Amino acid sequence: MKIIETLTNIDRRIIYLILLIVVLLPLLFPSVEKVRVMAPVEKLYYAIDTIPSEKAVIVDFDYEPQTAPELDPMGFAILRHVFERRIKLLVLSLYVQPLGLAQNALTQVTEEFNSVAKTNADSIIYGRDYVFLGWVPPPIIPILGMAESITSVYTVDYYGNQTDTLPLMQEVTNYNDVGLLVSLSGSDIPKWWVAYAQSRFGLPVGAGITAVSASEFYPYLQTGQFSGLLVGMKGGAEYEEMVERTLKIKVRRKASEALLSLTYAHLVMILFIVIGNIGYFAKRRKK
Amino acid sequence: MNISSDPWIWISALMSLAIFSFLYRDNPFYRFAEHIFVGVANGWAVTFYWHNVLSPSLFDPLFRQGQVYYILPFVVGMLYFTRFIPRVSWLVRIPIGLYMGYYIGVSIPSTLQAYIIKQVQGTILTSQNFQTWNAGSMGVVWSVILLIGVMCTLAYFFFSREHKGALGIASRIGIIFVMVGFGAAFGYTVMARISLLIGRLQFLLGPWLGVIE
Repeated sequence: MKIIETLTNIDRRIIYLILLIVVLLPLLFPSVEKVRVMAPVEKLYYAIDTIPSEKAVIVDFDYEPQTAPELDPMGFAILRHVFERRIKLLVLSLYVQPLGLAQNALTQVTEEFNSVAKTNADSIIYGRDYVFLGWVPPPIIPILGMAESITSVYTVDYYGNQTDTLPLMQEVTNYNDVGLLVSLSGSDIPKWWVAYAQSRFGLPVGAGITAVSASEFYPYLQTGQFSGLLVGMKGGAEYEEMVERTLKIKVRRKASEALLSLTYAHLVMILFIVIGNIGYFAKRRKK
Repeated sequence: MNISSDPWIWISALMSLAIFSFLYRDNPFYRFAEHIFVGVANGWAVTFYWHNVLSPSLFDPLFRQGQVYYILPFVVGMLYFTRFIPRVSWLVRIPIGLYMGYYIGVSIPSTLQAYIIKQVQGTILTSQNFQTWNAGSMGVVWSVILLIGVMCTLAYFFFSREHKGALGIASRIGIIFVMVGFGAAFGYTVMARISLLIGRLQFLLGPWLGVIE
C-alpha cells in the first residue's frame, strides 16, 4: 500500500521532468520511421493532386505561432506538393498574425525549388506560379467577395503590387477558377469556409487543423463537406510521407521526426493515468 | 554544437525558458516574460491595425483624398465611444445593431445549411453515406453506430420528460457516446499539447543550441 500511496502522490514537477526526458531524447537523435497514411490525409492529397491544370488552389494560412509546430509541417508539405505539380497557387490569411508564418513558408519552399531549378520554366516565380494575397479584414469580406472577383477584394497583394497586373491573376478571377481551398487553422476558420464559400458557391474545402479541435471537425469529413482532413502533427507527418513517397521530394521532415517523441509521451501519459486510477480504486477500497 | 549568435534567437529562447520556468513555480522570470508578451502584443496590434486598417481604409480616404462619404462609417464607428459618456451612451446601440444585423443576416442561411442540414443528411442511412467511411461493407455498421449515437445523445439532452423507460435507456446509451467523445477529445488535447512542447524543443535544440539540424 505504501507504493500506491507514493505513486499517487508524485510531485507534478517529477512528472514534468519525466515527460521532458521522453520527449527530448528522440529529438536529440532524430530518425524518421515509416508513417502509415490514413484515409483523410490521402483524400486531401489526391484532392490537390487531381486539380485540373486550369484551376488554382488557395491555401489559407490561418494559424499563429502557438500552434505552428502542428500546422507548419502541413503548410510546408502542401506548398511542396503544389509547386512540384505546378498547380496555380494563391496564399492568404484571414487574420493578421499568420501573415509572417505564411511568408516564411513561401520563402523557404520557393528557395528549395529555385536552388535546384535549371531554367526559368523550372523556377517558381512570383506572379506567374503563385501570389501571396495577404490579408483583408474582416474575414467575411474576402470569403464572400472572392466569389465575384478576387482582385476587387485584394486590390494589392502582400508586397504592395497591384494584383490585376500579375499574370496569374488574369487566369484566376474568382471561385470558378479555384479547384480547392485548403484552410490551415487552429480555430473555427475551416468551418467558415464551408458555411460561406462552400454552401453558397460550391467551393471544395480541405482542412488542416490542430489535434485539440479534431473531434469537432471529423463530422464535416464524414458528410463530404471537407475534401480531406489533416489532424495535428500526425497529419503533418502523414502528408510529408505522401509527398516523399509519391513525389520523391527528400527534405527534412520535422513532423515525422517528432512522432517518436509523441508516441513516448503518450505512453508516459497512459502509464500515469493507469497509476492514478489504480491508486484511486485502492484508496477507495481501503476506506 | 553550434550555438546561435543571432540576438533575436537568444531573446526568443530565453523568453521560452522563462515561461517554462513556471512549471517549477511562479517566479519573477516568468512574470517578466508574461508582461513583455502582453505589452509587445498590444503595441504590435495597435500599430498594425492603424497602418493596415484605420489609416488606409478610413483616415486616408476621408482626410487626405477628400472622399466625404467616408464620414458615414467614421461617425458610426465613433458612436462606439459614446459608452464613456453616460448621457448619450444609448447611441452605442446603433453600431452594435448594424453589426449584429449584418452578421445575423449573412450567417443564418449559411450556417443552417452547413452546420445543420448537411449534418442531418450525413446521419441518414443511405448508400452514399456508407461509402464516406472508406470501410467497404463495414460502412453500413459505422453509419448505424453514428445514427444510434446521434439519436441517443439527443435523447440524453432532452429534458422535457423524465428519463424513464425507452427514453431512459436511450439517454443511458447516449451518455456512453458522450463519454467516448470526451475521451477522444482529451486524447487529442494531449497530442496537441505535447506537439507544442516538441515544437519549442525543436527550436531550442536547433536554431538556438545547434544540437540538431
